[in-house]
Amino acid sequence: MSPRVAVVGAGMSRFVRRAQETGKELSWIATREALASCELKLDDVDAVCLTSAPDAFDGVHRKGDYLADGAGAWAKPYMRTYVGGGSGVFTAIQGWYTVASGLADVVVCVAEEKMSSCQPHPQGAFLTIFDNILERPLGPNLLWIFALEMQRYMQAYGLDKRDIAQVAVKNKRNAAEHPAALLGQADITVEDVLGSETLAWPVQRLDVSPISDGAVAIVMASEDAAKRLTDRPVWIQGVGWNLDTTYWTNRDLAYPEYVENAARMAYGMAGVNEPRKEIQVAEPYDPFDYKELHHLEGLLLFDRGKAPEAAADGVTARDGDLPCCPSGGLLGVGNPIAAAGLMKIAELFWQLRGEAGARQVPGTPERGVAQAWGDLMQVGTVVVMGNGGGPLATATQSPPFAPRATSLSDQEFRSATGAVEQRLDTRYEWDPGEAIGAVLDGLREQRILATTCISCGRTLVPARKFCERCFRPTDGWTEVPHTGTVETFSICHVTWDMRPLDEPQIPAVIRLDGTSEGGFLHLVGEVAPDDVRAGMQVEAVWKPAGERVGSILDIEYFRPLEPELRRELVAVAAVELPVEIAP
Amino acid sequence: MSPTKIPGELSVSFRYTPGVGNTAFFEGLRDRAVFLGSRCEDCGVTSVPARIFCERCLAELEPSLECGPEGELVSWTLVRVDVDDQPLERPVTYGLVRLDGADTVLLHRLLHTGGEPAIGERVRAVFTSPREGSMLDVEGFAPVADGAGP
Ligand SMILES: [Zn+2]
Repeated sequence: MSPRVAVVGAGMSRFVRRAQETGKELSWIATREALASCELKLDDVDAVCLTSAPDAFDGVHRKGDYLADGAGAWAKPYMRTYVGGGSGVFTAIQGWYTVASGLADVVVCVAEEKMSSCQPHPQGAFLTIFDNILERPLGPNLLWIFALEMQRYMQAYGLDKRDIAQVAVKNKRNAAEHPAALLGQADITVEDVLGSETLAWPVQRLDVSPISDGAVAIVMASEDAAKRLTDRPVWIQGVGWNLDTTYWTNRDLAYPEYVENAARMAYGMAGVNEPRKEIQVAEPYDPFDYKELHHLEGLLLFDRGKAPEAAADGVTARDGDLPCCPSGGLLGVGNPIAAAGLMKIAELFWQLRGEAGARQVPGTPERGVAQAWGDLMQVGTVVVMGNGGGPLATATQSPPFAPRATSLSDQEFRSATGAVEQRLDTRYEWDPGEAIGAVLDGLREQRILATTCISCGRTLVPARKFCERCFRPTDGWTEVPHTGTVETFSICHVTWDMRPLDEPQIPAVIRLDGTSEGGFLHLVGEVAPDDVRAGMQVEAVWKPAGERVGSILDIEYFRPLEPELRRELVAVAAVELPVEIAP
Repeated sequence: MSPTKIPGELSVSFRYTPGVGNTAFFEGLRDRAVFLGSRCEDCGVTSVPARIFCERCLAELEPSLECGPEGELVSWTLVRVDVDDQPLERPVTYGLVRLDGADTVLLHRLLHTGGEPAIGERVRAVFTSPREGSMLDVEGFAPVADGAGP
């Protein structure tokens, strides 16, 4: 059995749209509150764990050492960990193993994000997560990924947008009771969500958590130290994390296997055999409303496709049988990415101590689960926490302080004394590599090439030199048909920086006939947006021979196989990148 | 032939606001031509530019202690190339200056005209006019021996 590790303190800044404070100053606000909450001084801290999502949000390269002073890391063992959006929950796992290994008795875990620096829109920093050769030339927008996953989830289980919108309503209402929240709204309705601007169908404005600045910190301690520091430690009972394939279009987007894997690891360690009976409060990751439902299923708290029904029945409400996101979640409290994940751990700490004030879930919860998700939609991070049935305090308002951070208006942000503007304009030359180089050669000749693995029997698109499951070289090349099926699609109305498009784009995951699970990302054209369906048969429309250069754009788009569904092409707004041709 | 190199870019813009501590520092430069620092009495450390917290003990600090405008040159370098490794038309001298009253050093240009700077020598800030609230409100540091002092 692993040594016991407890959370003994927590603190956070306010989450705001544009903070006057620097990232360092936000980190300091959170760290200081966390230490004060358990009456510790920085000298009492043995090591510091930090996390923050991509450097490109704050616009500070190597945010780890940049944030070190605000996190209290001066002259201490210190490390930044990073798993994208999963980072906030992961830093508590980092804190757990730092203590459980015996390296430290008391650690501080800090998570910070300052997204307001990134101009004109933080989405710009996300564009690089798409495959640089096969996806970025299509001009993807970050919302595509979520819209495609949400559509697939809705289609797989026959869900209506209304089933999903209720999550945004619940969380924004819950956040109205959170003193640090950016977007609490006690009177929001499902109609408000369903009536909000459509960004990339089915994603609408109020389905998405807001861009935010903020920081959160917790204090973790060994069993001996915890018992010395508090009579109400909240124990880390289980931790788990898991990563799915980096080929996101090859996954079943309807179900997060990686969350289930991470949850099974954490439940196993916690000795939780029946999570539906043994978990009393959950903080699943909710950057989009559908993600809470998706993740609750991955956490094995509801059957696949059944979380929406439970939510409609009030099961996940703060006073329901399984309160979910009583904090208000990312949708309500805000989404400074890494900080929002650690906020979930802090919320469980407050809930399990009975300190959540107006947000306190009824009864005496003994065990909760927090989860986050990130990287390229493929990492699950899970922590199970419990109070061991210990005594609950009387209802204290919590966070038990007035969270700080100064919110700037856009005007104040634009006119701030001493502000500096910089453009990070870095250029690259990417080698396509052997496998994708051969795929590009094939596209120039109007052929679509895949590789095969005889060990797992898969025909792989995108083609690769090695099978990531069998971890052996693939066995050869095969040409696959130019026809396939739309696995999932979105009708996208905005550019990556949220400017309206004249004509909507229709990104889709297309599975070519004769290939294995999933497919690849491309655009659908020659069809009215209302006529596109998951399962629709499509065929590639190629550029003429003289115009093909060995690029994913040699396929202009896919159109319906059925001629009756075809419409005159209006526009397929792929972004043409210049391609250098070798002599 | 298919492309052997695929060009790409990471092109993101940032607007950095200076935060609470640096705002006080820049307003001091702009409005009063003074360097503001902050002192932690417990740790006995004065930092310039001003900060709102002590990195050693996390105590809250007031960003209001005046330091300089004279100080000691701690190190210097003569830069002959730009960031792309191309020769600069006029080489630039940069120095680290510990302002009087401060424990930390500040990076800025040196305005020496005759002869090399010397580590340990006294230097004094030369302010621009008008000032906007920026590090460039200081033109650089000149040797006190040159008569830049009062
Ligand atoms: Zn101090």
